[in-house]
Amino acid sequence: MVNTLRKVRNIGISAHIDSGKTTLTERILFFTQRIHTMHDVKGKDGVGATMDSMELEKERGITIASAATFCEWNDHEINIIDTPGHVDFTIEVERSLRVLDGAILVLCSVGGVQSQSITVDLQMKRYKVPCIAFVNKCDRSGANPFRVIDQLKNKLGHNAVPVQIPIGLESDFMGVIDLVDMKAVYFDGDCGQDVRIGDIPGDLLPEALKRREELIDTASLFSDDLTEAILEEKEVTSDLIINALRNGTLMREITPVFMGAAYKNKGVQPLLDAVTRLLPCPSDVENQALEMDNGQQPVILSDDPGKPLVAFAFKLEDGQYGQLTYIRVYQGTIAKGDAIINIRSGKKINIGRVARMHADQMEDIDSIPAGYIGALFGVDCASGDTLIAKGVNLTMTSMFVPNPVISLAIFPNDNKSLVNMSKALARFSKEDPTFRTHVDEETTETIIEGMGELHLEVYVERMRREYDAEVTTGNPRVAYRETITRKAEFDYIHKKQTGGAGQFGRVSGYMEPATDTDFVFENKIRGGAIPSQFISSCEKGFKACLTKGPKMEFPVTGVKVVINDGASHAVDSSDMAFQAAARAAFREGYAKAGPVIHEPVMKVVVETPTEFQGSVMGLLNQRRGIILGSQDEGFMSVVEAQVPLAEMFGFSTVLRSSTQGQAQFTMELATYKQVPRSIAEELMKKAEKEKKNNS
Amino acid sequence: MEKNNSILKNPLTRLGYETEDILAEGEFGAVLASSGVGKTALLVQLALNTLLRSKNVLHISLDDPVNKVGLWYEEVFQNLVQQCNVKPATPVWETILPHRFIMTFKVEEFSPPKLEERLNDLTQQGIFFPQMAIIDGLPFVESVRNPLSELKILAKANSMSVWFTVRSHRHEKPGPDGMPSLFSHVADLFEAVIQIHPEGNETHIRALKGNKAEAGPPLILDPSTMLMKNSEE
Repeated sequence: MVNTLRKVRNIGISAHIDSGKTTLTERILFFTQRIHTMHDVKGKDGVGATMDSMELEKERGITIASAATFCEWNDHEINIIDTPGHVDFTIEVERSLRVLDGAILVLCSVGGVQSQSITVDLQMKRYKVPCIAFVNKCDRSGANPFRVIDQLKNKLGHNAVPVQIPIGLESDFMGVIDLVDMKAVYFDGDCGQDVRIGDIPGDLLPEALKRREELIDTASLFSDDLTEAILEEKEVTSDLIINALRNGTLMREITPVFMGAAYKNKGVQPLLDAVTRLLPCPSDVENQALEMDNGQQPVILSDDPGKPLVAFAFKLEDGQYGQLTYIRVYQGTIAKGDAIINIRSGKKINIGRVARMHADQMEDIDSIPAGYIGALFGVDCASGDTLIAKGVNLTMTSMFVPNPVISLAIFPNDNKSLVNMSKALARFSKEDPTFRTHVDEETTETIIEGMGELHLEVYVERMRREYDAEVTTGNPRVAYRETITRKAEFDYIHKKQTGGAGQFGRVSGYMEPATDTDFVFENKIRGGAIPSQFISSCEKGFKACLTKGPKMEFPVTGVKVVINDGASHAVDSSDMAFQAAARAAFREGYAKAGPVIHEPVMKVVVETPTEFQGSVMGLLNQRRGIILGSQDEGFMSVVEAQVPLAEMFGFSTVLRSSTQGQAQFTMELATYKQVPRSIAEELMKKAEKEKKNNS
Repeated sequence: MEKNNSILKNPLTRLGYETEDILAEGEFGAVLASSGVGKTALLVQLALNTLLRSKNVLHISLDDPVNKVGLWYEEVFQNLVQQCNVKPATPVWETILPHRFIMTFKVEEFSPPKLEERLNDLTQQGIFFPQMAIIDGLPFVESVRNPLSELKILAKANSMSVWFTVRSHRHEKPGPDGMPSLFSHVADLFEAVIQIHPEGNETHIRALKGNKAEAGPPLILDPSTMLMKNSEE
C-alpha cells in the first residue's frame, strides 16, 4: 500500500445509461492492470463487464448498489466507487456520495447532456463533489464534443473548459490534442495500450492555439501565479496550468473536459492522469462527524492514521465469501486483530480479515488507514453504521431513521419462494434501516414497509432476481394514523360475574391531545382508588388500544391519558380485569375526543428546467399539494412543495412525461397532517368495503 | 385556537395609516433602511399580518433561497405567537401556509417580464392569486424606474399591492424629504414609504410618505424579536 495520502483518490464515475460508464470503468481497470482481459457490457463473450455486479441494475439501466474497486496509476491509488444514478434511493446515494472525494462525469458525445446526466450532476452539486468530465464515444457517427461542452455550460451551468480537442471525429477519430502540453496523443497497439506522443497536425494547430488560449484564460482566475506569468509575459508552464485547473476544480468553479472513445481504447490513460492531477485527495476534503455526547454537534475529522478510529460502513454485500462490509476510514487505522465498536449497537467487533476489493475479486491486506476504502469480513453491522475505536463517541450519520410511510403486502408464490423471501427480507432490513418487514397478525400477510413506491418496488425486484423468490404484491398502502383533537373524559366499570372468580375494575380519567409524542400515561390517583399493583395493568390496557385505533384501525398517536379515579374489588379485581377496563375506557373517551385521521405529508422538491416550472407546479397542485416556493436558478428551477403521500403514487411517471424526462424529484417525510373530511369519508367507505370482502 | 385581535392588528397602523392593508391594489410601498437594520424582518411581519387575515402573500426574494426565506417566516411567526400568547401555534401556522408563496430569483436574472411569466403560471392554473407581494432585494439603481413602472402595471393587472425593501447607505445624506437621493427620483411611484433608522439605542420606524395623521408614541423595532412595538410598551 502506498502510504501517502496525497496519492490516494476516492472517485465515482457517474453517467447517463449507455454513455459508456461501465466500459470506461472496465478500460480503466485494464490499463491499471487490475484485469487482464476486457469484456463487453452486454456480455457478447458471456462474461460481462466487471463492475456490473447486480443484474437488475443492468436490466433497468440503473445502479442500485455501489461496489468499490481499487486500482493503481502513476504511483497513485485509485478507489472507484460505483455510484447510483437514481434519486429515489436517497440513503444509498447519500452513502456512496459521501465516501467519494471526486468524480468523473461521463457524457456521450452524441447524446450529450441527457436527463440522467442532470440527475447525477444535481447529486454531485448537492454533496459538493468536485468533478472532471469525459466526453465518450467520439468515434460514433454524429459525435460532437463541443456541443456537449456547450450543453454542460447551458444545461448544467458548469464552467466547462476543454483540456483536449479531438484529432478527427466519428470513424476518423484517432486521438486527442493535449492543450496543456500542446502535444498530440495517439493510442497504438491492439488495446490502445501504447501511448504515442507526437506533434500537433498542422491543420489543427490554429484551433489548438485558440482553445489553449481560452483554457489559460479560464484557469488564470484560480491562480495568481498563472495570472502573473501571463501579465509578465513569462513562459506559461504545464504545471502552472494544471495547478490553476486543480484549484478551480476543487472549488467546483471549473470543470475540465477530456475526450475519447473508451470502447476503442482511446483517451483513457490521459483521463487517469487527470484523475491523479486534478481531483482531490482525501486530505483536500473536510469530513465531519457528529459528536454523540454533545447533542450531535459536528466535529471535523483528522486524516491522521495514528488517531482513534472513525470508519463508515457504506455497503454490505452477501457474496461468495460471506458478509462483506465496505468501509471508508476517515480517521485512524483499522487493522487485522483490532477490537472496535459499532456505535449504533454498542457491540464490540473483532476484526478478522481486512481486504481490498476489486468488483468480485479480493485481495487480503493488513490494515486500512484514514482516507482509504476497504472491506471487512464477518463483521456484524448494517449499512450506514459508524465503527469507532473505544473511547471515541462519534457517528458519521445522524442516528435518526424515519419511520416508513408506505407498506405493501407480499405473497410468496410457492414454498421455495417462501424460504428465499425470508432470507431476502432479513438481508434487506439489515442493509437499509428504512426498509422494514413484519407479519400482519390478523391476515398473516407479510408486509414490507419503506420510504416510497419505488423504494419497495426495487426490493421486490431484487427478491426475484437475487434470491429467486417469486412474490405477488398487493396495493401499496399509506401509513395513516389516528389521533384526537380535544379533551374527553371516561369512566368505565368492567364487571363480569359468570361463576367462580369474577372480574371487576373501574377506571376513570380523561384523555387529551399530546404534541410531539405518541403516548403519555399519567397516574393522578390519590388514596388508592385503584391499587398500585393495577396501575401498570391500566397502562398496558391503554397501550393495547394504540396499535389499532377505534376509528379506522390505524395506529393511534399523540394521546395523553390521565387516570384520576377508579375502584377495585378485593377478590374480583385482577390484572386482566383492569386491562379490560382500560381498553373499554379508552374506547369510550376516544369516541368523544374528536378522533381524526392523519396522513403522511411529504416534502417534495422538484428540480426542473425553468421552461417546465409552470407545468410542474400544476402537477403538484393537482395532488393536493401546497407549493411552498419556487427557486429560479437560471436554466434550472427548484419547486418545493408539501404533498400528501397518498397523492404521490405514479408521480415519477407523470413528471417524466410532462417534462420530457428532464425533471427530477426527491421526497421525504415532512409531517403528518389531518386528512380532509371528504378524503376521510372515502377512506372509511373503502375500509368498510374491504372488511365486507374479507368476511 | 382563535386568532386573537392583537395578532390580527397591523402594527403599522400605529404610524397613522388608516387601513389595515395600508396599500390598495396596484399601490407600492417601500421600507427604507441601511443593511442589517431589519427591512426583511419588518416586511415578513407585515406579510404574516396579512396572511393571518387569510390574504395571499407572494414573497419574492432576490437574495436568499426559499429555505432561508421560510426560516424568516418561522422565526418571526414564533416570536409573534409568543408575544400575542397564541396557543397552540401549529394549527395557525398550518392555516397560513397555503396563503404564502415564496419565489426566488437570482438578482441579475430578475425582470418584470420574467415575474409576469411566473405569475401567469400560477394564476392561469388557479394555483395562487397574490393579494400582496413583497420584493426583497431589488437594487435601486439609476435605471430602476423602467422596471418599477412595468411592475406597477403588473401589480394593477393582478390586483395586488407591492412592498419593496430599499437599501440606503449610512454615509449617504438624505434629501429634504428624508429619502436617499437614489430613491427620491422614483418616490412618486410609491404610495407609502417607511423608514427604519437607529435613534440612540433604539431602532425607530417612521412614515416618510402616505400617512394621513400624526401618530402617538414612536414605533420601534424590538432588537431581540425584530417585532414592531410602541416605544412605551
